[in-house]
Order: sequence, then structure tokens, then C-alpha cells
Amino acid sequence: MKTVLTIASNTFKETVRNKVLYNILLVAGAALFLSMSFGDLSVFSRTQVMTDFGLATMSLTGLLLAVFIGAGMLGSEISTKTVYGILTKPVSREQFIFGKFFGLVTTLLLNFALISLVFFIAITLMGADVKISIMDAVVLLAVEMSVIVSAAIFFSSFTTPTLAAIFTIGFYISGHLNDLVDIGTRQQESVIWQTVLKFFYFLLPNLEHFNIRSRVVYDLPVPPDFVTGALCYGVLYTILLLLLSSMVFSRKDL
Amino acid sequence: MNVIELKNISKTYRKGLRARKIPAVVNLTFSVKKNRVTGFVGPNGTGKTTTIKMITGLVRQSSGTVKINGIESFNPQSRQGVSYLSEQPCFYGHLTVNEALGFAANLLRISGKRIGLEIDRVLDIVEMVEKKPVKVKELSKGMQQRINMAQVLLGNPHTMVLDEPMSGMDPPGRKLFRSIFTELKKQGVTVFFSTHVLDDIEAICDDVIVLSKGELVYDGSVMDLLDTGRLGMEMVVFGTVKDEMESLNEIGCIVTEKNNNSIVFVPKDKDYKLVQHLLFSKGKSFVSIKSTSKSLQDLLYHNPQKQYVEHKL
Repeated sequence: MKTVLTIASNTFKETVRNKVLYNILLVAGAALFLSMSFGDLSVFSRTQVMTDFGLATMSLTGLLLAVFIGAGMLGSEISTKTVYGILTKPVSREQFIFGKFFGLVTTLLLNFALISLVFFIAITLMGADVKISIMDAVVLLAVEMSVIVSAAIFFSSFTTPTLAAIFTIGFYISGHLNDLVDIGTRQQESVIWQTVLKFFYFLLPNLEHFNIRSRVVYDLPVPPDFVTGALCYGVLYTILLLLLSSMVFSRKDL
Repeated sequence: MNVIELKNISKTYRKGLRARKIPAVVNLTFSVKKNRVTGFVGPNGTGKTTTIKMITGLVRQSSGTVKINGIESFNPQSRQGVSYLSEQPCFYGHLTVNEALGFAANLLRISGKRIGLEIDRVLDIVEMVEKKPVKVKELSKGMQQRINMAQVLLGNPHTMVLDEPMSGMDPPGRKLFRSIFTELKKQGVTVFFSTHVLDDIEAICDDVIVLSKGELVYDGSVMDLLDTGRLGMEMVVFGTVKDEMESLNEIGCIVTEKNNNSIVFVPKDKDYKLVQHLLFSKGKSFVSIKSTSKSLQDLLYHNPQKQYVEHKL
């Protein structure tokens, strides 16, 4: 465990010094403050628009971080050969993958905490309360991002940083459209198509499990077990992807 | 006792869309003995780095077994007490020398209290203590290689695997590294290193392993290898040996003259003591008597075009 923490701590230091992080944070902060004025252009209340926009910005920020930092992480370790300094010591490739993941997720959580702070300040400035459901939505977004980061690490374990970034974006989009695949499966009459669509439905994660934005915006109740279930789903999916990454990376020649 | 053992190792890379097979190492078998300094030589692209990467678990062999202290090299436990130095220094750009060594020390599970002392110790050995707060990427390549060496020395490893450790070093740096190797040899550390500099092999190594085109061409002691290149004895005699020329020619000696002295060369298959006795009995005295042999350079480069040996030595 100490080895994983050592790698995680180094990854955290490395990513927090990455200029991309600050650019993303700056854009996210600016977008959040700009969204305060968007309410006037909408038929909905300013708080509703702000909440919707804020949560969407956080989701997108997480994706950008996963793509720009996560997808290139293993690739840059290999191209700069810094991985040699780690894996030629009594360190397993599993420990390396998990260390990298925890380091990146810590950066992501810190980033989320900062954006959330800006988001909550903006909501309070608009005279609204920060509800528990908003907190739930932020927590679920964080879990969703850990799934995205683990997917980015998984893709970068066997392909180039560019392709890993494209695959990660594809994973994010298809994960949010997975419900549509389910609907499409039920509408198909061909058994072959049904089987193909079902395969993809079960293969891809359903990232909509982490999306309670509409419920929060429209003040609809969130079922009590929903958040717990989504948390478990996210954690299991993350572990699965990290184990797959470890398996693939273990066979890789460096 | 062998620390590193390779048995029938082969490595084939697949390149291109058609996955064309490119053999890097072919059926390689050798071992590195404990407490000895072993050099690993061969021309570029002959599979030295691939072999070293297989030993350190960075590359998985296509066939055969690689063991370190009896443990398969892909098992991280095999790297306990084994350190590796890459040809190119590879440190994280965001770390200072102190942080980079601290990171390595943590991975080696050196206890927190000892880390500071250990960093000071290894930096002192490579004469880089004053560079502690400097970012590694701001140092020259030679200095980075010294930090790389410091990282290798952390935790007093019993075995060191080094890939061209003196690459890019200036003469003082090379001298320092040679003295470090000599000291490690005294301490009984097993060192296995690849190099193109044959002088280093002659000066430092006990054993040498020679590769050519991915195959083993020599595995044995440096002394034995140099012995295969022994030419004979060279005797420098005061004055002329014209009167003894006939007897010397009969024995098979070659006589030349230089600076009013005679140089008598006795081939290795002839008894030089017989020649020595003959000249003594004629009242001749000697300026010097020395053994002559081909250098490692001459042994491994088989022609003036500096091609490495392509046959078993």
C-alpha cells in the first residue's frame, strides 16, 4: 500500500503542476460566473439554469481532465522512460496502475472541490440554498469521473495517447447514450441486432446512473437507494477497469 | 553462485501492420556470477538493451527463462536488492534532485528517518551534494547521469544492472564512475553493465559477455579472453645479437633493432626461457622482458574496418 501511495503522491504532484489543469479550471470558473447571467435569457429561474449549467460544467471539466491528463499519462511515462525508474524496483505493474489512478483522482477531486466552491458561492450569491441533492449530484459526478479516469488509463494501457483520448470521449458519450441503446434493443425485431445491441448495452457503462441533474434542477425527489446504488456501481466499474488495465499493462513491453 | 541466469532466451518483436517478426535476441544462455563485475558488449542493435530489459522485467521474453536469485524476472520480488540504471537518465521533470531520490528511496521502502541520510550518502559518492535543491531537468546530461548513479546506489543493492552507465559522461565523470565500480567490486557487489568502451571492460571487469547479432559469442573471464590474444614475449636486449641470430632464428624468434638495442620477439608457442638462457649464456643483458598480447579492442574487432567478431571466440 505504501508503494501505491508513493506513486499516487508523485502523480498528484505531477498533475497539479500541469498547466492544462489551471487552464481547465479557469475556463470552468469563468463559465460558472457567466452562467449567472444566462438565467435572464431562459424561461426557467436563474437558480435552475445556474444549477444545470454548473453541474454540466463540472461533468465536462472532469472529462477534459481525464482526456488531457489521464489519457496521455501512461504514454508519456513510457515515452519519457520515467516508468523505468519505478518498474525496475520491487514494484508490480498493478501497484503502478493503481498509484497512477489514485494520484489522478486526487487531483480531480481537488479540482472538483474548487469548482464546487465557486459553484456554491455563485448559487448563494443568487440567493438560493445549497441543497443536499446538489451535494449528491456533485458526489455522483465525482464517482462518474473516477470511472472516466479509469477508462482513460485503460485505453492508454494499450494504445497511443491520441487514440486513448478519442476512445475516452467515445466512452463518455456512449455511456450517456446507453439508455438509448436499451430502448433501441427493445424496438428491434431482428434477433441478431437485438443480441448485438444487448452486448453493447452490457459492455458499456451506463453513465446516466450518475446523472441526477434533471431531478436536482426541477427539485424532484431522489430515491434514497439511488445514490448508494450508483456509488457501488461506479466503484465496481472503476475497479474492473483498473484490473483490466493492470492485466493489459502487465503484458506490455516497455 | 549465479545471481542472474538466462536460459535459452529469445525475444522477437512484431512490427508493422503485418506483424513482421524481428528477432532481437536468439536463444541466449548465460549467467552472471555473484560478487563479480561483468561487462556486456556488442555492437549497436545486437540486443544488449533488450536483454537488460528482460533481466529487469521491463520486457517479457518470447521464450526461455530469466531468473534473478532464482526468481523469475517478471516477479517484482526478483528486483529486491537489485538496482537498474538506464542509458538515458529518466527523471520526472517536476522533481528536484532531493525529491527524485526521495521518491526512489520510498519505492525501495527505505524507512522515513533514514531517507535523508541515505540521499546525502549517495550524493556524496557522486559528488553532487550541492545540487540537492536543483530540479533534475535543469542539470546537464552528465550531471543527470550522476544523479541516476546516485539513485542506483540507494539502499546498498547487492546487484546492479547498468545499461551503458558512462554514456554522455565527461572524463572526470568517467573517472568517478570507474572508481565507484572499483569500490563496489571491493564491497562484493555484483555488477552487470553494458558498454561500448572496451577499456572499461579491461580496467574494471572480471568477466565479459559478448553478443553479436543477438547471439552469444563469448562468455568467460576477461583474463581468459585476453589470454587467447596473447602473442608471446618481447625481450629488449642491450646491444646487438648478430652473433646469436642463427640460433634465435632456429628457435623461431623474430629479431629487430631499435636505438642500438635488439628486440627479440618469442612467439607464444616457443619457450622464452630457452631464449633467455641462451642470451644470458652469451653475456647479454636485458632492458626489459614483457608479455605482448592483443588488446580487447583488437580481439573483438576482427579487421581494420572495426567490425565486431561474428564467430565464436
